[in-house]
Amino acid sequence: MADIGASAAAVVAPVPASMPKRPGMLKRLVREPVAAIALAIVVLLVLAALLAPWLAPTGPFDNDLSVALSVPGTEGLMLGADGQGRNMITRLLYGLRATLMMGVASVLLGGVTGALVGFTAAFYRRIDGLLMRLMDMLLSFPAILFGLAIAAILGPGISTIILALSVATVPLMARIVRGSAMVVMRQDYIEAARATGMSDARLILRHLAPNCLSPLFVFATLRFGQVILLGSALSFLGLGAQAPMAELGAMASEGRDFLFFAPHIAVIPCLLIFTIVLAFNLLGDALRDALDPRLRV
Amino acid sequence: MLRHVLQRVMMAVPVLLGVLFIGFLLMQVVPTDPATVRAGPTATAEVVAQIRADMGLDQPLYMQFGLYMWRLLHGDLGVSIINNVPVTQELGATIGPTLELMFASLFWSIPIGIALGTVAAYWRGSLLDRFVTALSVAGGSVPVFFLGLMLIWFVGFQWQWLPFTGRGGPLWSLEGWQSLALPALTLGGTFIAPVARMTRTAVLEVLGAEHVRTARAKGLGEFAVVLHHALRNALIPVVTLIGLQIGFLLGGAVVTETVFSWPGVGRLAVGAILSSDFPMAQGTILVLSLGFIVVNLLVDILYVALDPRMRGA
Repeated sequence: MADIGASAAAVVAPVPASMPKRPGMLKRLVREPVAAIALAIVVLLVLAALLAPWLAPTGPFDNDLSVALSVPGTEGLMLGADGQGRNMITRLLYGLRATLMMGVASVLLGGVTGALVGFTAAFYRRIDGLLMRLMDMLLSFPAILFGLAIAAILGPGISTIILALSVATVPLMARIVRGSAMVVMRQDYIEAARATGMSDARLILRHLAPNCLSPLFVFATLRFGQVILLGSALSFLGLGAQAPMAELGAMASEGRDFLFFAPHIAVIPCLLIFTIVLAFNLLGDALRDALDPRLRV
Repeated sequence: MLRHVLQRVMMAVPVLLGVLFIGFLLMQVVPTDPATVRAGPTATAEVVAQIRADMGLDQPLYMQFGLYMWRLLHGDLGVSIINNVPVTQELGATIGPTLELMFASLFWSIPIGIALGTVAAYWRGSLLDRFVTALSVAGGSVPVFFLGLMLIWFVGFQWQWLPFTGRGGPLWSLEGWQSLALPALTLGGTFIAPVARMTRTAVLEVLGAEHVRTARAKGLGEFAVVLHHALRNALIPVVTLIGLQIGFLLGGAVVTETVFSWPGVGRLAVGAILSSDFPMAQGTILVLSLGFIVVNLLVDILYVALDPRMRGA
């Protein structure tokens, strides 16, 4: 069991046993300046979202119509106020919280379901064909159609978006997990574990899954950026978070009405979405390079 | 080749049936009763019952499904709850503008994306390559509505160069072109990054191939090598990947249409969903899904047509 880490590395990038131990993942990651900055931004954003209720200068729905549409830099309102006179900093913090939560929930729900499908397909070859055809069908429809269809049935809301993005994530994750699980399945230690009479569930959880984690994490990180981009677009269309809830895509949509005289209301949430997605994309790319140098092109 | 096409068509059939079935279910699970809505708020119970019978809503579910398929085959998608216009009529009016927008976006973004990707791959590791790579990572992170709002703010509002709401007219009029410019710039702008990235990877792969080395060895100029031997072969995966990205483009189109009040199917669908116009929502989603199945099928066939090596497979 001690060599699980080493065998995970072997799946990702086979290294001869005689090679000196490579430095740790995190060390390799932060050695790249771009990756280090992206990681720092991600940590900062997550902290800001978690601490939103304590960091926010006002309550999320507190408004003062006398300061409505104030531009950034106004006395006491560093980033200005929105159309209803709510402090932009507060709205952004709560919006960031909602957007990141939406992303985490979608990637977790879709990712775990997809991973289960992927492991099942790789492990029980008899239903592999059926499962993967099903995944291909899901894959042939874009996320926007899931979003529209689910919104038509359940009505707009943040849970609608989470469900749509999860459904769109399942087949992608299933493919990736199946691919790497098939490689692991051919390893001797799986055969050895099976020979000891271990149950299927235990074999999958203890031996198969831990050795497929790295591609899974890389995908989840890259997917997170895409999910935020898609989710905020659905929110922008009005299919997501409903007023007065703060969500970055919905805030950009609200700000559209004031674009010509108070552009900051739309532009700042947009910039924040861009920053989140960019940071996760850069981090995902760096993670992939660090875990599998062969993929670097 | 024909066998392959037939095989693909056969594989699309269950997906098609699935989509039709889900479209039918869509109407079953919505919380409002179509007969009550159609009858209006002042109708008596008898009138509602009469309308329910007329619409076939009193029949068992499998009969309703049959009826639904029958109507669908006859091009009847129902009538909008909001304005009483047949769904097919609204769809007919909006599909054109949506296709117009999508083609216009592809028309300028694909050549630019391919050029950027090729240049980056050829001078791999150079400052130019780094610039293109950075641009494609950043470009892939920009929300499409952000790009649209920025174009409206600068080009439309500050500089007053181009209109930014609605469709000015048919494609052969100046107004039509002017009103199409900003939406097409927006949607195409988000498409450059993925095309450039895919092209770069594909060209890099081909540049290392033996036939490229042979072409160089026989003294062909670099330009001919890249254009005729590398890019031409690299285009096969690129075309397929672009086909697979049409879903991404559709998502962008829905948002772009909303931002620019462009009278397309996407905007119609979103409007129908937000106003609980279920027949309209069902019709638009159904048509978009069917369109998608067809596009996937075409991409599949195109892939084989482009790459003779795939024909035996």
